[in-house]
Amino acid sequence: MRGPRLVVNLVLLVVAVLFVAPLLWLLTASFDAHGGLSAQVPGKFTLSNFGHILTWDIGGRPLLNGLFISGGAAIIVIVVAVLAAYPLSRYQLRFRRPFLYTILFTTGLPVTAIMVPVYGLFVRLGLVDSLWGTTVFLAATALPMAIWMCKNFMDGIPVSLEEAAWVDGASSMQALRSIVLPLMAPGVAVVGIFTFIQAWGNFFVPFVLLLDPAKTPASVNIYSFFGQNGLVAYGQLAAYSILYTAPVLGLYLVVSRWLGGGFSMAGAVKA
Amino acid sequence: MWLPPLAPSIVLLGLFVAGPILWCFYAAFTNSALSGIAARRPRFVGLDNFTTAFTSPDVAASLWLTVVFVLLSAVVGQNGLGILLAVFMQHKGKVLRGIVGTVVVAAWVLPEVVAAFAIYAFLNAQGTLNEVLGWFGMSQNWLYTAPMLAVVLANIWRGTAFSMLVYQAALSEVPSDLVEAAQVDGAGPVRRFWHVVLPVIRRTVVTNLMLITLQTLGVFGLIYVLTAGGPDNKTQTLPLLMYEQAFKFGQIGYGTAIALVLLVLGAVFSVVYIRSLKAEV
Amino acid sequence: MRARTIAAGLAVAALTLPLAACGGGGDSSSGDAKTIKIVYRNYSDFPQMDTFMKEVKKQFEAANPGITAQLTPVSSLDSDYLAKVQLMQRSPSTAPDVLFEDSFNVNADAAAGYLLPIDDYLAKWPDWNSQFIPTTKQAGKAVDGKTYAVPMGTDSRGLWFNKDIFAKAGLPTDWQPKTWNDVLDAARKIKQTQPDVEPMYLPLGKPAAEAMSMQTLEMLLYGTPTKNLYDEQAGKWVAPSKGFQDALGYVQTVMKENLAQTAAQAEDTQWAQTQMPLLMSQGKIGFMMDGGWYARYWQDGGVAPWPNWSKTLGTTKFPTQNGQAPGNVTLSGGWTLAVGASTGNPEASMKFIETALNKENSASIDVACSWLPVREDVKADPRLAATDPTEPFWSSLVSFTRYRPTLAEYPQVSNAMDVAGDSVVNGGDPAQAAQQWAKDVAKAVGSDKVKTG
Repeated sequence: MRGPRLVVNLVLLVVAVLFVAPLLWLLTASFDAHGGLSAQVPGKFTLSNFGHILTWDIGGRPLLNGLFISGGAAIIVIVVAVLAAYPLSRYQLRFRRPFLYTILFTTGLPVTAIMVPVYGLFVRLGLVDSLWGTTVFLAATALPMAIWMCKNFMDGIPVSLEEAAWVDGASSMQALRSIVLPLMAPGVAVVGIFTFIQAWGNFFVPFVLLLDPAKTPASVNIYSFFGQNGLVAYGQLAAYSILYTAPVLGLYLVVSRWLGGGFSMAGAVKA
Repeated sequence: MWLPPLAPSIVLLGLFVAGPILWCFYAAFTNSALSGIAARRPRFVGLDNFTTAFTSPDVAASLWLTVVFVLLSAVVGQNGLGILLAVFMQHKGKVLRGIVGTVVVAAWVLPEVVAAFAIYAFLNAQGTLNEVLGWFGMSQNWLYTAPMLAVVLANIWRGTAFSMLVYQAALSEVPSDLVEAAQVDGAGPVRRFWHVVLPVIRRTVVTNLMLITLQTLGVFGLIYVLTAGGPDNKTQTLPLLMYEQAFKFGQIGYGTAIALVLLVLGAVFSVVYIRSLKAEV
Repeated sequence: MRARTIAAGLAVAALTLPLAACGGGGDSSSGDAKTIKIVYRNYSDFPQMDTFMKEVKKQFEAANPGITAQLTPVSSLDSDYLAKVQLMQRSPSTAPDVLFEDSFNVNADAAAGYLLPIDDYLAKWPDWNSQFIPTTKQAGKAVDGKTYAVPMGTDSRGLWFNKDIFAKAGLPTDWQPKTWNDVLDAARKIKQTQPDVEPMYLPLGKPAAEAMSMQTLEMLLYGTPTKNLYDEQAGKWVAPSKGFQDALGYVQTVMKENLAQTAAQAEDTQWAQTQMPLLMSQGKIGFMMDGGWYARYWQDGGVAPWPNWSKTLGTTKFPTQNGQAPGNVTLSGGWTLAVGASTGNPEASMKFIETALNKENSASIDVACSWLPVREDVKADPRLAATDPTEPFWSSLVSFTRYRPTLAEYPQVSNAMDVAGDSVVNGGDPAQAAQQWAKDVAKAVGSDKVKTG
């Protein structure tokens, strides 16, 4: 059994190396005073790239804005999706299948396609240049996927557990909160992270819906490193990328640690 | 009483998703634009946008490129690599699993523009890959000679984590006695997988394919930063074409028509999956 | 039953609200008359506009107490800025009062009803009539004859060449090419004598986009007997056009003989912006066809600082195809300040513009951005030539400059030019590309709006 085992291990290692390779550049260029395009040992090691970006205007506030938008969207999505998943999972609804498929199909449309009517809508609602408005919108666009996943997670939790609670006099909502939700915690965490990551990386939505430069998140500000004619300060871009990626990476690590070392999609993709 | 818990979703989805999409259905039949006379007084043009789209070689080319991109990077790439990794990692130690898992997920978690630029730096003529290949005399300008391959690889790099995680979970729920029974019967690992495991996780396969197909259909930023749709439009998929028409030329009516083509494409893919594997919700 | 009705009601409400909203119109005009919103572009390596606007705001508010100028910079790439501003203009309540507008968009935005005709106000502004150079006033004029914007600065295009490389190749260091062939021959000579130097650079490839259309293809086209992209008197676009085909032929020659960057370099999304100025400064490129603003990149604080650039580089005009009249070609673009149509306070908006483009401020922004002056009294400002010794040369070209046809369909025509140019760059046949281009133009503007030339 040694042969195949070795091959498998080798393949895994090769894959790991190939996946890490493009990331090396981020590390090397960010410490390089003359960062270029390839991952080389920095000719002139420097911390000035980080120094340049770690200011309130460039690094601080946009990150905070992003945290507000992405975190807010994740929380809204978790609450709304879990609520929606409940009847979809527990009740025999005639429109269940069409509803689920329809909302899933909408995810095939890139958000850029609907930004023109959305902008007009936001003007009407007075939500242009509002961090809250942007947050709610991002939550809405993340809902289809979230509802789908939550419903599947919930399907995996036997109704019998709730039935026991009902017998004891609890209402559906109470049973949802005390029985189902704790069991769904890993799934809820997955949905939350997923939403956070999508929102964190989204450029076009906040770009269109926000006017005040003090409100834009890092996903928009990172483009300012591309300069007027696309001239790029590579070292600074790499440093900013690291700064910009750190929160999502950190969040992922924290959540998967909290879930017991396994970020699992168990039950997310069933039906 | 199913209404109260569903109400917030209905309102949010109706207001921010369904409403705008319906507007797109309307706009696709006008010559609405961001500027020019058509901005002030959009005219109803019936099926003009669609006829233009269907007779346009650009749209046909983009459609084809989009299909190729989805098939190669999602169906074969992310899906295949995801299954492979999940299977290979099944009985491995924590260390190997941890390393491979973290690295693959890191690429997924990276914001799109950062991922795009990391790949650009990697595949560029002066990039890391060429530095290494240069030692073997095999360097070329990948982004120029094989642009579709480059964006496909970039998307595989970026999205495999999702499939890997899904399959890891699915595999962990395959009853081990089923697999062991097959092993006792003398079936080798490949046969075990194909005839025992795969049928059990079939529904997961379908749903995963559907989800990653829909996600991949909408990929825009990654390709835009890497090749801008070039060279010579060789990587201009439908999302890029739509963006160009709608925002570079301000042709909202036409751009929206293209967006609807994309939507239909997504529906077609989904129906194909569901039909061919006969799974149900 | 009731639940279903309620749900249906909710759904209908949720769906119709956005449809109603997207009807647009009926919104009140932007803000109150005491605040005017100024929208402009801002980049991390182009902070000049931001600094400038802050200064103007100070001056304006001091001279006009009670009125606030609210600065709203948009930090983004070119195409995104345009999309963003157009979206803002679509809804009167978010529309700017004063906006920083590429001269190229004035026609389309005027036709869309986004801009306010300001002829009456300009008539009352002495500077406009006495100081602004007449050819530059075209920048803000639309096809309806009304003026909607005031130019801030302009630019011109020609040839930059490296005198050292030319000397080594036996070429004159006061180079004055008379025909396209002269230019090509110079490139060939450089290639023979200095094989590790790239003879020339001109904007090419899909990433170059408008740069390829304007700096390369139109510079060539306007120097052919066809002369025009758009015939103003006939009101028609000139397609198919022999001149355009010849322009493509020039590109093909350049590519075939390897006289410029390789196709791969042309298609690289970052090469032109990141490598080019650097390579020029390292003496790796013989000459380039581009705009006068390039000096900005070699100056202190530019992307590829080159202290001796003005001593090593010479400038000269780009010739017509066979040296026929007028002998040389140049094109101009330029940025303007326009007034939004739904402004709540047109007088204040105009006052802001008048402050921003008075003699002192106009000079300072032109110097900061390496733009050519649009005011006579700014031309003599010593700072212009001090930071850029080639400035008087580029300025002298403005007297015979041409502008692009700034009609609403221009972006599509230009894109078709890019597609044609791109295919030739990648080995396609110029005749075929030109034919396809003519078809694309006819489709974009309507077959009744084209003529052969």
